[in-house]
Amino acid sequence: MIYFFDGSKEAFLTAFLEAFPDADAYLTCTQKQLSIGQESVFVQSDEVRAAKAERRLLQLDKNSLSDLSLLLRSGQTGHEQIAYRYLKKIATEGRPVRKMLADDDVVAAVECMNRVRWEIHRLHGFIRFMESASGALYAPFSPDNDVCDLLVPHFRARLPQFPFVLHDVSRKKAAIYDGKNAFVAPLERAEVVLSADEQGWQALWKRYYASVNIPSRERLKQMRGYMPVRYWKFLPEKISPSDG
Amino acid sequence: MITEEKLKILTEGAKYDVSCSSSGSSRKNKGGMGNGYVAGCCHSFTPDGRCISLLKILMSNHCIYSCRYCPNRADPDIPRAVATPEEICELVIDFYKRNYIEGLFLSSAVYRSPDYTMELLLRTVKMLRTQYNFHGYIHLKGIPRADMGMVRQAALYVDRMSYNIELPSERSLKLLAPQKDKESLLSPMRALTQEKAEYAQERKSSLFLPAGQTTQMIVGASPESDGQILRLTQSLYRNMGLKRVYYSSYVPVVHDSVLPDKPVGQLREHRLYQADWLLRFYGFTADEIAPEGENLPMDLDPKCAWALRNPQFFPVEINRAPLEALLRVPGIGAKSAYKITEARRFAALGFEDLGRMRVVLKRARHFITCKGKYYGAKNESAVRGLLAAPAERAEQLSLFSDRETALAALTGDL
Repeated sequence: MIYFFDGSKEAFLTAFLEAFPDADAYLTCTQKQLSIGQESVFVQSDEVRAAKAERRLLQLDKNSLSDLSLLLRSGQTGHEQIAYRYLKKIATEGRPVRKMLADDDVVAAVECMNRVRWEIHRLHGFIRFMESASGALYAPFSPDNDVCDLLVPHFRARLPQFPFVLHDVSRKKAAIYDGKNAFVAPLERAEVVLSADEQGWQALWKRYYASVNIPSRERLKQMRGYMPVRYWKFLPEKISPSDG
Repeated sequence: MITEEKLKILTEGAKYDVSCSSSGSSRKNKGGMGNGYVAGCCHSFTPDGRCISLLKILMSNHCIYSCRYCPNRADPDIPRAVATPEEICELVIDFYKRNYIEGLFLSSAVYRSPDYTMELLLRTVKMLRTQYNFHGYIHLKGIPRADMGMVRQAALYVDRMSYNIELPSERSLKLLAPQKDKESLLSPMRALTQEKAEYAQERKSSLFLPAGQTTQMIVGASPESDGQILRLTQSLYRNMGLKRVYYSSYVPVVHDSVLPDKPVGQLREHRLYQADWLLRFYGFTADEIAPEGENLPMDLDPKCAWALRNPQFFPVEINRAPLEALLRVPGIGAKSAYKITEARRFAALGFEDLGRMRVVLKRARHFITCKGKYYGAKNESAVRGLLAAPAERAEQLSLFSDRETALAALTGDL
């Protein structure tokens, strides 16, 4: 049986309880075409049941819900099922399982979480702010995983005086810090008026990028391995290669 | 705003310095801009495959010295520039604000005199911390023969300092960098190590070079063997308490009769880094890795070569071997060793389990047993044949083809 849910944590936990006795359960929030003969059900979020599942999982593994939160943010196909199998393992084993590193379900979940964590780390480096005329900072980006709000604490700690917007342009949402509070809001398109110096600093940065390279040691494959091409369209130094 | 031309000159003069690491400091933001990121962070990668973590720049490329290998040496007629402390500070603040960089790596040629240069550097880092209220990472290059009072003061403002040892022996230093000598490089390193220890004793180590000291040497411009280089490295780690020793394979930017015309293959540099990792994280000693007068083998990584020389330790049983023994298995890195020790507490591990855990078995299979069963080749010469990279392929190996170095590069630790 296929269990559809709306992607929220509550709906996932409701579907989790619903699916638990079913040995062939498949959890997903993607409304893909069903192959003929596959049975499916749409699970409505049920706060009471979700809270019950939450309490039980926390008793068994106090980190299970933070793991779930990471897994639900993953952009990997099938991540809902990975989360389901992982939590089911915690429930059947009755204890934390994350160190059972030779178990298929655990390996899948650990790798899925690591990819989300890894992208967060990468984005701490690859986010590029531009300065608006008002002094606020704006960074458009398009992450694999739904992580824009998880980047806020990092930038807030370093740039407390600067309001900033981390705009996930594919998910059409943004994590916003207004100089005091941080929140997430839907954001389709942002009109940004750049500060007078912004182009100048971008030009200097491109000049720096071109000058610090050692052309006789070219290793493009390595560069692309560390900084995959899909991140380039938001990096000024990769948008229009500077001459020099 | 600094001009593009000046930025270009001062960057090109600095770019042969290897270190760009921003790790090891957890400096807090005290009401201004920036903080330390213990794991380090890479912000971009250049087409040469290196990470940009810090703004790596010279204060000046005017030099009174004439080190034979150096592009900034006194004699040639090249474009020269000097930055003002304000120009550097603004550049750091505006780059940092846009998240281009993790901080500053400030170095300089010896401009007018060692003291004059050191004073400029000190003024810049002090200004950045106190007037610009910047708390991000700063790595400062020490100027040999500069007044130690200024050096000590600078150490209170920056996260890391480094004196480049330049060449692996005093003889080569005399020949290629005649105005520097061993003592002018080692004595300030020693003094800083000592002072850091005093701060640590009073539990104030975060105030004085929280990310410690590093150094760098050029490999292949002079005749020292890898065995010698690794002994020097080991003593720098043990006696000077350095955080990192960097190797930079010689790139001829200057034509000189005492220097080789050809660059040193990057494979040699790669092998030295592998050996360096064995010294720091895998419990090996320089004696185990390479005899004094010898170079590391090119066709095998140093751990593999050690294992083949020491068959008496193998195979090890994956389900019982202590962590230290697992770490000595070729192909098993720190991460895999950790995964094995965790996973085997739940169930005895078979060969397929290792594959599922993403333990790389290409080399390891010849040195382990799983539940008593051996899956490798029958004898040593067969193993050697299977593991050795053919010469032409070996040359193409990526500089960071092993996982640990790759990870370190990504986290800005290179």
